[in-house]
Amino acid sequence: MSTRISASLVVDDNGEIACMECGHALGPAGAPWKKAARLSETPLQGSGGEPYSNAANVLLRQFFCPGCAALLDSESALAGDPFLNDVVRL
Amino acid sequence: MDPITFSIIRHRLYRVIDEAVITLKHVSGSAITNEGHDLMVSLYRADGSLLMGGVGFLHHLTSAAEACKAIIRRFEGRINAGDVFLTNCPYTAALHTSDVYLVSPIHYDGELVAWSACFVHVYDIGAMVPGGFSPDSRDIFTEGFSSPGLKLVDRGEMNTDIMDTILNMVRAPEMVALDLSSMIAANNVARERMVALVDKYGSKPVDQACQMLVDQSEQSFRERLLELPDGRWESRQYFDIEEETYRVLLAMTKKGDTLNFDFTGSSPQSKYGINCAYWAAWGGFFAPLFPLLCYDITWNDGVLRPISMIAPEGTIVNCTRPAPISLATVGAIQSVNNAACICISKMLSASEKYAKEATAVWHGSHFAIFMFGQNQKGQEAIGIMTETFGGAGGGRSFADGVDVGGEIPNPIGRMANVETTESHFPVRYLFRRATSDSGGPGKYRGGTALEYAIQQHDSPDGGINYVVSGKGTKFSMSDGLGGGYPGAPCNFRWVHNNEAAEAGKNVNPFAMSPEQMTGEQESISWGVFPLMDQDVLYVRSDGGGGYGDPLMREPEKIARDVREGNVSEGVGRDVYGVVLDADGDVDAAASAAARDAIRAVRLGQKAAE
Repeated sequence: MSTRISASLVVDDNGEIACMECGHALGPAGAPWKKAARLSETPLQGSGGEPYSNAANVLLRQFFCPGCAALLDSESALAGDPFLNDVVRL
Repeated sequence: MDPITFSIIRHRLYRVIDEAVITLKHVSGSAITNEGHDLMVSLYRADGSLLMGGVGFLHHLTSAAEACKAIIRRFEGRINAGDVFLTNCPYTAALHTSDVYLVSPIHYDGELVAWSACFVHVYDIGAMVPGGFSPDSRDIFTEGFSSPGLKLVDRGEMNTDIMDTILNMVRAPEMVALDLSSMIAANNVARERMVALVDKYGSKPVDQACQMLVDQSEQSFRERLLELPDGRWESRQYFDIEEETYRVLLAMTKKGDTLNFDFTGSSPQSKYGINCAYWAAWGGFFAPLFPLLCYDITWNDGVLRPISMIAPEGTIVNCTRPAPISLATVGAIQSVNNAACICISKMLSASEKYAKEATAVWHGSHFAIFMFGQNQKGQEAIGIMTETFGGAGGGRSFADGVDVGGEIPNPIGRMANVETTESHFPVRYLFRRATSDSGGPGKYRGGTALEYAIQQHDSPDGGINYVVSGKGTKFSMSDGLGGGYPGAPCNFRWVHNNEAAEAGKNVNPFAMSPEQMTGEQESISWGVFPLMDQDVLYVRSDGGGGYGDPLMREPEKIARDVREGNVSEGVGRDVYGVVLDADGDVDAAASAAARDAIRAVRLGQKAAE
């Protein structure tokens, strides 16, 4: 039985962090998972429509499941700033 | 104590606060208090610790406890029944100089049994700029009157030399006098009702019930924390002032029944007044913590006990005197609030039981526009445009964010109607409405933001001036959750119609959008500006953060969003993958193809490492 650890992730029976939608494994529980995801880094400017008048250097980082393409997490960032890492200890 | 008596006393304490808030509003005459509810009344124990947190801006519940404790230290041996003390020093307890605390000891039979404390954002505090938000200040000395503590009322008698000195240092002293009177009245009512409560039940039983109430909150909160998983969650807030970029970094660690908020790595304190002091950062994360984690627990000192904070000295979240601080409430404090909202919500999202309580960020920028000048009645009009309290709700795990839905730190805040604002300031609105595509896309989208435009009208001076403290124009400050996009950023424009008219262009006096305006549009975000003659101020607030993957949003909801103007057809297609037919209904086949195409692009991205 899997255990929920975020809005989009679970820890599966094998102790792996996995996509809540398809079960694709993303690494061991308790460790950062984002490097196992597909990453899109695009300007936030215009990303959600005309009101997205952000500065050109602000990035929208999106982390996708390599298995089903579900959007697992998003963060806005300046280039070079580290990923936000969340660790849940079960 | 029997549970029925305990419950009655507990509810009487709630009602004491309710009645004090009503009194404060009845006496106060300013829109920021009566419309924006930029106020707070709470009760504190004899040692100054929080007993019963009230409504209003929740940052203040804990800061006012520090105000009570500071007064206890400063006036030891000189605290008498009927006294009212004032402090507004941000390096003592207050959030910024404009938020004046009035705290009153409550005695029964000569014994100090409790304190009541309240605040309002006073009409003026004598800063460089009317209204108190002082973007040009580079130290606290130019941000107005600031006191670490004084006795305004001595055993029921107004200390008129102190009152007159305060009123001599501020603009519109009659309005500031009303602000102070409203708080004295609120504290008087709180004291009378508390005395009546003690009179009925006795001082020992009431004290016992208060202690039980605090212990009950601590126990309930620790039990809740134990239900949530251990872990460490991170969030990051950027904001921009002029050409500078600031970061508030938060790592929240939950271990057992304790919670730590660590702001290590946040930017050094700023030369601009967006810094906050230690107790303001402390209050900043309690503003989302109380409603998100303690919605069914009495907000008091018991909730504070399992919490710790690391806020390095000299940073934007713990600045050192005399750093400027007048915009703290819409500056670093708001970012602390936003960052905590996300970390707490990530922790809630890790729990099957509590995931539904999680939310993306509401109204992250908390932009503020302060107006000042002569109004059409010849009065000195100073005050905030209350649209700042309009806000935009964050998406949640079960519902969209509330459009123009307020904010988390102030559950009772609201904005004035257009007519109220036009009657107070010499302005007319060209339009005010929700903004399409401003809510962060997601399975549950963020609430839409507000946009409005104003022009001077009937001003004896040809116009009025305004202060923009508009961080959040470069960065989106309402972060999304669970993949949801952040909300759209703010936008502020000075439309130079006067120059257009001089150049012979026809100025459209009834423009219904920025596109219909003739003059050159200058983006602004920080400072003091004029609104003269035919010029226009255009303001768009920030949208709420989205929740979850936009491709998982029910297509019919996009059709409805497009019909209602909350999402454009293009964003519905390109971001949500929903294609509408000529009648505005969902084209199921085309939508499925559009979503497949978006997924293919996603899978074509490189690995993150």
